[in-house]
Amino acid sequence: MMSFSFPLRATALACVMACLPQTGGAWAQSYSTGHTGGRAGAAQPVSFSAEQVAHGAQIYAGACAMCHGADLDGGHDVPDLSTYFTARWANTPLDRLAGYIAHAMPLMAPGTLPPQDTAALVAFILHHNGATSATNAPLPMEEARLAKFRFPAPITQPPASGGKP
Amino acid sequence: MKRRDLFAASLAAGIAGATRRRGWAATPEASAALGRTALHGTIPHLVPIRAHADQIMDIKVCLRPFRPAGPRMDVERVAGKTVVHNYGHGGSGWSLSWGAAHIAVGHAAATLERRVAVIGCGIIGLTSALTALRAGLDVTIYTRDLLPHTRSVRANGSWTPDSRIALTQQAGPEFAKTWEQMARYSWQTYRDYLGLPGNPIDFRDNYTLSDTPPDAADHAPTPTDPAKGNFATTGAPQSSAEFAEYASRISDIIPAPELLAGADNPFPVGYARRTPLMIYNFGAYGHLLLEEFHQAGGRIVIREFHSPADLADLPERVVINCPGYAARDWWNDKSLIPIRGQTSWLPPQPDAPYALEYKGAAMISKSDGVMIQGYDMYGLGEMDGVGNSFEHPDRAEAEKAIGIIEDLFTRFQPRNG
Ligand SMILES: Cc1cc2nc3c(=O)[nH]c(=O)nc-3n(C[C@H](O)[C@H](O)[C@H](O)COP(=O)(O)OP(=O)(O)OC[C@H]3O[C@@H](n4cnc5c(N)ncnc54)[C@H](O)[C@@H]3O)c2cc1C
Ligand code: HEC
Repeated sequence: MMSFSFPLRATALACVMACLPQTGGAWAQSYSTGHTGGRAGAAQPVSFSAEQVAHGAQIYAGACAMCHGADLDGGHDVPDLSTYFTARWANTPLDRLAGYIAHAMPLMAPGTLPPQDTAALVAFILHHNGATSATNAPLPMEEARLAKFRFPAPITQPPASGGKP
Repeated sequence: MKRRDLFAASLAAGIAGATRRRGWAATPEASAALGRTALHGTIPHLVPIRAHADQIMDIKVCLRPFRPAGPRMDVERVAGKTVVHNYGHGGSGWSLSWGAAHIAVGHAAATLERRVAVIGCGIIGLTSALTALRAGLDVTIYTRDLLPHTRSVRANGSWTPDSRIALTQQAGPEFAKTWEQMARYSWQTYRDYLGLPGNPIDFRDNYTLSDTPPDAADHAPTPTDPAKGNFATTGAPQSSAEFAEYASRISDIIPAPELLAGADNPFPVGYARRTPLMIYNFGAYGHLLLEEFHQAGGRIVIREFHSPADLADLPERVVINCPGYAARDWWNDKSLIPIRGQTSWLPPQPDAPYALEYKGAAMISKSDGVMIQGYDMYGLGEMDGVGNSFEHPDRAEAEKAIGIIEDLFTRFQPRNG
């Protein structure tokens, strides 16, 4: 009979590396807390530059879109980098995301992205998911500085009158 | 149904600029593709279908929830809730269910809420609820009826992902991409349900039969009467040509048809093609999905909603709305157009596991019965049943469809061995 394939993937991996043991550690718990690595403290508002977004889009199109899709939708066998992705990474310090991309992506050539490209990709992904930049200051490349920012939680409230009727 | 078109379109894949589905035979590549003839000896011995009106066990009628702009899948804020819509999948709800659920649950997950309500337990609601459970959410289905009593199980039940799903103009080019994403995701998810006990999802060889060369049939001009106008001018679709065709976008993963050479063609017709067709055995599949839902801790509450304001007292703050055609009333979505369809069910014939189409009637031999549907018996094409909300069995129509299959098999000479 069928059994569920729970969304292990990178979430589980990052969890093993980063999570303190969760109380009530049912599989479902990792859903929204998997990457936060504990309590979400006060984080700085995230900033990235328009140049980074443009540069990130360029790298994305060449090195990532073939698997994650031009619209970041992913597919059956590749995680999306949009809706589910925001849920998985909300409130996670950005050094984790940059670190993951730097060490694991692109899947066929991990570890080949220079730090400025990784930062640009993070900026592009943030921008694509509706994050706004506090200033036009570029997103830093250094892990210690990135750790001060968290992946913004999505805006839970859509506009009162939703999109097309 | 438009399976003929569907595979015509799949043959057209790769032909640059082949936008008209009926144009494939005119192009050399497509002719070459069509030229592949089934390998001699691969047509199995076929047991005749016992299609007689006195064998009818059940006649089911259903209204396809058709929206000219395509299914409604946006997010809105109503009665203090975040409402993710997932309804209006026309004649493609079974086929696109998992892909549509994947998109809808993504919107729900992005709110970071842990608990979601799903309204409706047809194929769209149930797959949305399962997808939400798999994403780690707590799910309660609120519904008037469970799957076996919904419109969903009054369908034909096969892979028809772009059957009356939208009008090309009204849906626009963006929807074509969303459609492709849904169709690919669904197809891959269904593969996970193949080969299980009870065959919830299965394949049948589908024989498309014709007395005239299929080219001619496929080239038959779409009945268009300029005097009738179109959706833009009249507010209702007026011809088959307005309905969207997207199948060629996924022809790389959908098995193509093959021709049956004269000596191999067991049917008393001049022309036959064979295409592997994915089918849904409603009984086995429906039970499996409900079982999975309960096993994973999902809850079901029987409840009917009357107006969007009724959502206010739900404990969940996120709602995935999957009411199918009923959205016309309960969500007051007057853009939904009913497209009536009817299927007749004869006793199962496990000795004859195949499907066929002839003169506008389709037959699929399934584990829960032999399904016969007149999908285009009056030459109306995609306009068949459009605007008709008579959700009541029409025995004469059922007998006419069965008669087409019956007539075919009175002339059928089963080969020996
Ligand atoms: C003749 C025919 C053949 C078809 N063949 C195919 C095919 O071969 N392949 C394919 O992919 N598709 C096919 N379809 C299309 C497919 O059946 C539909 O797209 C699909 O069933 C829609 O499912 P749904 O879950 O949205 O709606 P439904 O099955 O109508 O489910 C709606 C659910 O919402 C609940 N509900 C509704 N209103 C309320 C309310 N006010 N309060 C509480 N609960 C409510 C209902 O009880 C039900 O549980 C066919 C359709 C027809 C008519
Ligand atoms: C060959 C296909 C492929 C390419 C190319 C690719 N990825 Fe991935 N990506 C994957 C797969 C598969 C996973 C899941 C890996 C796992 O779970 O082990 C993944 C995971 C991810 C994740 C984590 C998702 C999550 O929610 O946990 C991110 C972020 C990511 N990729 C970004 C990128 C970026 C940025 C690029 C381009 C530089 C890229 N990927 C290129 C296939 C690919």
